Amino acid sequence: MTVVGYSFEEAWISLLRSGRSALVSIGTIAIAFATLGGFLLISVNVQGVLDQWLQAAEMSVYLHDTISESDRAALESFLKAQPAVAAVEYVSRERALERFRADFPELSDVTSGLGQNPFPSAIEVRLRTENGGDAAADALSKEVAGQAGVSDIRYDRRWLARLVGIVTAARLAAGVVAAILMLGAAFTVAAVVRLSLFARRDELEIMKLVGAPFSYIRGPAVVEGLLLGGIGAAVALGVIAILYSTLSRWLGSDLAGYAGIGQLRFLGITESVMMLLGGVGVGAAAGTVASRAAR
Amino acid sequence: MIETQSLAKTYGRGMYALKELSLKIDKGEFVFLTGPSGAGKSTLLRLLLLEERPSEGEVMVNGRNLSHLTRDETQAYRRTVGFVFQDFKLIPTKTIFENVSFVGRVLGKPIEQQRQNTYQVLKWVGLQHRLNALPEELSGGEQQRVAIARALVNDPHLVLADEPTGNLDPDLSLEIMNLFRDMNSRGTTVLVATHDRELIKWVGRRVITLDQGLLVGQEPRP
Repeated sequence: MTVVGYSFEEAWISLLRSGRSALVSIGTIAIAFATLGGFLLISVNVQGVLDQWLQAAEMSVYLHDTISESDRAALESFLKAQPAVAAVEYVSRERALERFRADFPELSDVTSGLGQNPFPSAIEVRLRTENGGDAAADALSKEVAGQAGVSDIRYDRRWLARLVGIVTAARLAAGVVAAILMLGAAFTVAAVVRLSLFARRDELEIMKLVGAPFSYIRGPAVVEGLLLGGIGAAVALGVIAILYSTLSRWLGSDLAGYAGIGQLRFLGITESVMMLLGGVGVGAAAGTVASRAAR
Repeated sequence: MIETQSLAKTYGRGMYALKELSLKIDKGEFVFLTGPSGAGKSTLLRLLLLEERPSEGEVMVNGRNLSHLTRDETQAYRRTVGFVFQDFKLIPTKTIFENVSFVGRVLGKPIEQQRQNTYQVLKWVGLQHRLNALPEELSGGEQQRVAIARALVNDPHLVLADEPTGNLDPDLSLEIMNLFRDMNSRGTTVLVATHDRELIKWVGRRVITLDQGLLVGQEPRP
């Protein structure tokens, strides 16, 4: 029998023998990985929303009512020539009013009561999202602000950039929390593996005296940690899947609607495999550290 | 086979368990190590099994200095040595067959070879009918026979026994000594630590006597 086969067999027997302490260890790992997976799931969906918003990001160049046709045409030509610009569309005051009435029919009385059209004409500029697009768009907005006939500029990406910054910071904080939880889980796994080693101390002593290679002496401890971590991560993945399925059944369409995306998405194959491998890795590392007790 | 030169082992603040011990045991010999409690018999066996390292001097086995072995070399060396303890050191949760085949298993031997060797050696000690029994279901003598089977299953060159009959009545002790004599007649070097003078007389082999860590006698003289 190879050392791998021996280690798996002995580790499995030891897990079954450990009973409650193994369950506690799996539970701790599962909590840590469910937290990480939950953050990952939120992150994946928030990123999807941000990507969509970033792609749809526009710069609105509002024009004075008094702008001449030639100035407007010159401004449009200038914008179309810019590398950061993907498309340009002129929206007249009338078109702006029509849009408002179509988008907010319940507020149409408000505009009727005013007696005149309150909307300015504007040029809507769709920006490119490639690398360097943000810096170029920033420069462009400053340049356009000084052009004749321009009254104001609204640039969506500024607050989106701030939102991306906040999301990145939140992701970092979540990563730190998950890392702390995982460290705690690793300590629990190591403690359980040490308990198993203690329970097998007579066997280990005999193994050493008959000259068993250290891979046979320590292997089962490493594999036990690996199994605890892997099972814990799999349980976490299952819990997240159940929560996701329940939440998306109850609130999925509402949440997707608010976010302006088609539908919420679950973790991809890569993220799921990474989570499982993470569990296996943390468990194996904890098992390896604990196995050093068998000297 | 075994040679020690000015061997010493100290514990704590210079307490000598063994002092200036120089002796030689040839290949294929059967030697008793005797002396009162605290004489250093078990210490010498622990040094030969590399459970401990000498404080001074050298231990050579088959021309190899044991003081300088690495961790992996130590394990490789132990594969050539069988051991038997007074308290048997059997794994209580494993059957008799598993206790013996365990050695082959952790040394990575093929399953068929493990089974064959285990059955043969258990048959040799007369326990082929108790293969599936747990250690607690056996008498002290039977448990010691299992321990002897385990020591021999890997076909060692040297067998070390520390008070192997210490927990057994005189009849069972003779039975166990017969097994040691039998294995020695097949060419295995045997070193048995005991303070049972009657048993030593009955077996009638070379005797090394220790007292307070010192070599105080050898009969017959080498």
